[in-house]
Amino acid sequence: MNDPVFVRPGMTARDIVKAVRSLKGVCLTSVGMRDAGQSDFKNRHRIHDLKTLAPHYNAMGLFSAETHGGARWHVGIMNRRESPFEEGAILRELMPNVLQQTLIRETNLFGYRPYPKNVIEYVVSRVDIDVWRCFSFLNDVRNMRAVAEVVMKRGRLFEPTISFTVADWTTNAYYLGVVKDIVSLCGGTDEIVLCVKDMAGVGDVTRIGNLIDAIKQAYPDLVINYHRHITDGLAIPAFLSAARGGANIFDVEEDSLVRFYGHSPILAVQAIFQESGIPVHLDRDQAEAAVQKVREWINHYDWAESPFKGLDHNVTLHKMPGGAFPSSFEQADKGEFLHLMPSILKVMSLYNRIVKYFDVTPGSQITWVTCSGIVNRYAKERGDAGVAHIIRLIEKFVIEKKQDMNAMDAAEQEELQQLFRTAPGDFKNLLLGNYGKLPVGWPADWVYQSTFGDEWQAKLRDRKETSPLESVASDDLGKIRSELDIAIGRVSTEEEFILYLMHPKDALEYIDFRGKYGEASIVLPTDVWRMGLRKPGDKVDFELWGKPYSIELVSVGAEHEGIIHVVMRMNNKTRVYEVLTPRAKKAEIRMAKGPSDIGAPINGNLWRIGNPARGPVKAGDIVHKGEEMANLEAMKMENAILAPFDGQITEVCVKLNETVQEGQLLFVLEKVKTQQNGVTPLELTHPT
Amino acid sequence: MSRNIQKVLIANRGVPAVRIMHTCRDRRIPTTAVYSTPDRLAHHVFMADEAVHIGEAPPIESYLNMDKMIDAALRSKSDAIHPGWGFLAENAGFAQKVIDAGLTWIGPSPKVINMLGDKIEAKALARKANVPTIPGIDAVTDIAQIKTWMKKDDVAYPIMIKASAGGGGKGMVKVENDDQLAQGLAQAKSEAKKSFGDDTILVEKYIERGRHIEVQIVADGHGNVVHLYERECTLQRRNQKIIEEAPSPTLDEGLRQEICFTATRLMREIGYTTAGTVEYIFDSATRKFYFLEVNTRLQVEHGISELITGLDIVSIMLDTAMGKKLPFSQSDIRPNRWALEVRLNAEDPRTFSPSFGTISRLQVPMGPGVRVSSGAYEGGDIPPYYDSLFMLLMTAGADREDAIRVMDRSISRNLRVEGVKTLSPLLLAIIRHPQFIAGEFSTRFIEEHMDELVSMFPEKNAEDEVLKIARYVAEISALGPQKWM
Repeated sequence: MNDPVFVRPGMTARDIVKAVRSLKGVCLTSVGMRDAGQSDFKNRHRIHDLKTLAPHYNAMGLFSAETHGGARWHVGIMNRRESPFEEGAILRELMPNVLQQTLIRETNLFGYRPYPKNVIEYVVSRVDIDVWRCFSFLNDVRNMRAVAEVVMKRGRLFEPTISFTVADWTTNAYYLGVVKDIVSLCGGTDEIVLCVKDMAGVGDVTRIGNLIDAIKQAYPDLVINYHRHITDGLAIPAFLSAARGGANIFDVEEDSLVRFYGHSPILAVQAIFQESGIPVHLDRDQAEAAVQKVREWINHYDWAESPFKGLDHNVTLHKMPGGAFPSSFEQADKGEFLHLMPSILKVMSLYNRIVKYFDVTPGSQITWVTCSGIVNRYAKERGDAGVAHIIRLIEKFVIEKKQDMNAMDAAEQEELQQLFRTAPGDFKNLLLGNYGKLPVGWPADWVYQSTFGDEWQAKLRDRKETSPLESVASDDLGKIRSELDIAIGRVSTEEEFILYLMHPKDALEYIDFRGKYGEASIVLPTDVWRMGLRKPGDKVDFELWGKPYSIELVSVGAEHEGIIHVVMRMNNKTRVYEVLTPRAKKAEIRMAKGPSDIGAPINGNLWRIGNPARGPVKAGDIVHKGEEMANLEAMKMENAILAPFDGQITEVCVKLNETVQEGQLLFVLEKVKTQQNGVTPLELTHPT
Repeated sequence: MSRNIQKVLIANRGVPAVRIMHTCRDRRIPTTAVYSTPDRLAHHVFMADEAVHIGEAPPIESYLNMDKMIDAALRSKSDAIHPGWGFLAENAGFAQKVIDAGLTWIGPSPKVINMLGDKIEAKALARKANVPTIPGIDAVTDIAQIKTWMKKDDVAYPIMIKASAGGGGKGMVKVENDDQLAQGLAQAKSEAKKSFGDDTILVEKYIERGRHIEVQIVADGHGNVVHLYERECTLQRRNQKIIEEAPSPTLDEGLRQEICFTATRLMREIGYTTAGTVEYIFDSATRKFYFLEVNTRLQVEHGISELITGLDIVSIMLDTAMGKKLPFSQSDIRPNRWALEVRLNAEDPRTFSPSFGTISRLQVPMGPGVRVSSGAYEGGDIPPYYDSLFMLLMTAGADREDAIRVMDRSISRNLRVEGVKTLSPLLLAIIRHPQFIAGEFSTRFIEEHMDELVSMFPEKNAEDEVLKIARYVAEISALGPQKWM
């Protein structure tokens, strides 16, 4: 292969689509940098390691590399302390030839709630991504409009995605309806790639080929990307079937990254296509090198793998997607209900026949929280017998009685009426249409009764038929930005603001962490990032801004009163670090916060409380605006603390001659209330 | 009258104490340090040959305690006392006590200190010596007096309330309007009482956009008075100088000669001995200068005069105290360099809030053209009880541009202080500011340009960033993998 690179950043969407159409055979999207990590390693793969693949990707001839989006964004700031922006910039530099691809949840963007149109436009126009794969867990194409418009206007490639599952209602006719909506939204098939997202890996081999063939017959020019998780064990034959149906692009990952919930191995896929007479556009040497590269760091992530190992064909029943699988098991492990997992999966397989949508974010979370909630409730109240009982009851209702409520006896009806009473808020939002319309209609009335109790009819009337794009009110971006600036005590950067828009609480923690620990998350190798230096003499070498550094551990002291002293040699100079353990006593210093709190303007010694004219002041005293309440001395300069308004001192928070910090609370002052006769008590205390 | 000095007690701490000990060491004169309890392990204690504990932290119990000071000199068999600057340096009563105890006082006579220490009397002396003075009133006790004077002499706000005994910015309050007057007077009085034990107050018209220029004088007991040219100390925050330079970029040669000559004439008429400084405020608009005060002591910024002249002013003070003649005359003084000084205070560079604590790491600038005068060492403490100055950084070059260039290198590449905040980002921003480089600034430069200067603070540097990474490694090494990972 001469120059395997056939698409690159900067090409128009139309030219990219043309280039794929003119390929002989198929090409590949590597999800090694995003979905692979999300499916099997809880998104913990660090850019420090992933970037080692970039030079190979740059020369491999991929259609694209999925590097961004999904939960990688959120886990990045929350757990890896990496920003998606800096990751993108690092990869741009290392693989300038590669189309970087994101996965975006239509109106939910990279977060978990429907954002208003102005936020969507603001964020999408500021994220430097070439291929925007956009899906709706409801297949509500209306919700994609805002993203599609911005992406297509920017000249980037929009990749609308249909969520795929297997159910009695997911017929070819249903999907062709969705594709029709998409093609009409995007003004044809020349500037888009359609993705079929089989996120749980549930489509059986013939079904997939059949669906793709049906779409291709309707839209012969449409470029199709098949995305398929491997959990059921049938992904590779399904790929062959899809390729024969006419799919052009396939999602793969490094063979050495493949576990149980992710994607097919790149080398194996290349081999079977080749053997089957379907040419694959790929520089295999580079792909092999990348597979080898992974082995250099993948063992650092053993801890992040799901405790539930192995393929599982039963995924075709419960349909939990690859990405949600390990994290659900993690939550079950943390919540100490891992033993209930089989029951929860069983309930899920029944639930998704009652409420019909696609188990992909945020739908998968709604399913998971709702179903694990039901099982846990029964387990807590009635033990294992209770869990068995509720499964039997739902099974009877769904399978035997075909969801005919009248076929159930009164006690059973009563119990089902309580099934969703403690369901999470997001489940309620789903029922109320706040995410958009469900793919094949709203659930039966009894679900509303069960969820909302007596209010159910009122709620039903409020149910929205419109897209959240129309119903969610605009956010005041200026106000949110100044909120952020106040919270971090400085002017935020554009990127920090976008992180904050998506995940406010976690963004603040991230910004705080990076303020404190700088680029530790970017430059440290993964073993040191996670475990530190473990024994004296252990050393870590790294580079920062083009210069070499070395940190060597000399010793870690014993804990004493919550403090551990760590001695390290930092570029040969000895430094001692005082590390507070969780047992450390926190010295409580109250800081002035509200307008009634009088704080110290500087660090210093509070040498006078009160003023020479009236002597000391104490709690209960009334002070006038501008009156000196105390005086602070620092390095021989005096600083008068003046009352900001007429008020009564409710608390004196420091002692005379105490050394105080800047901002430390000195007094709490309460505004003097005007009495009914218009005379303030202030005047009463000063008879003339 | 000549006497020898065998051993000097330095009645001070920090930067001045260490500075004086350097020269004593050069001259093989043993030194005695004094220290308060929190200064037990301070830099000056170790620089000295001997050290005497003189009391607890509050200055009034230690560095301002005259009897303990003299007792320490006698006990340590020191025969002379150098007061440095600040504390007892301009206290005539202390000078007298030193002399009465049979010790040599390294400074001007108590009579001269007394005369000049009183701003009211000093102004009268200046007028007598034909030195222009700022309009004002003396011996102010209440605000009515001030208002009457302002009305009578047609003076508008702002005005300056000053402790008559004051210096170093303490007991000095600028008042902008009637509302601030009472509070300002009370504050000046209280600070004056606390710092100088004397709350006599004078009030002067405030010269807007004034520049602060001063002349270094050395004089012996034989009637020889020589000036070592001027220094410009215009850049101040809260009335305290933070950047000084010599010569002044403001003056032309004619004005320079006039200012220096006037200062020499005043000091000669007074009968001044040893080192001292005549301070002027220079009104750039009218190009007129007014007498401000005489500092009857070694000054913080004396080092830059030493750099441009090659002389050692502390050594001259020792010689004149011993009764020796100045070994040079005015025509021997030929400055041939430009020198710049910045004061490294332990303060927040944005708020000037003091930042005391332990200097956990101190990397001192080196390289061509640099002089460092430090009062602290790595690992040492900056206690909250005293002045925030802990290091002076001086640079010299063939011209102003050169000196600024060397200062920029010293602050931005060599200097590193950890554990306490310092003014260094602000100092660097100032010397990089186009107006500073052009020599166009007034005493209000810093307050007027604060936001702009803060915006010039360097955002990040690799050394700080790598330490953040090291802190992370230390914490994880001690605590293991974290829940949030």
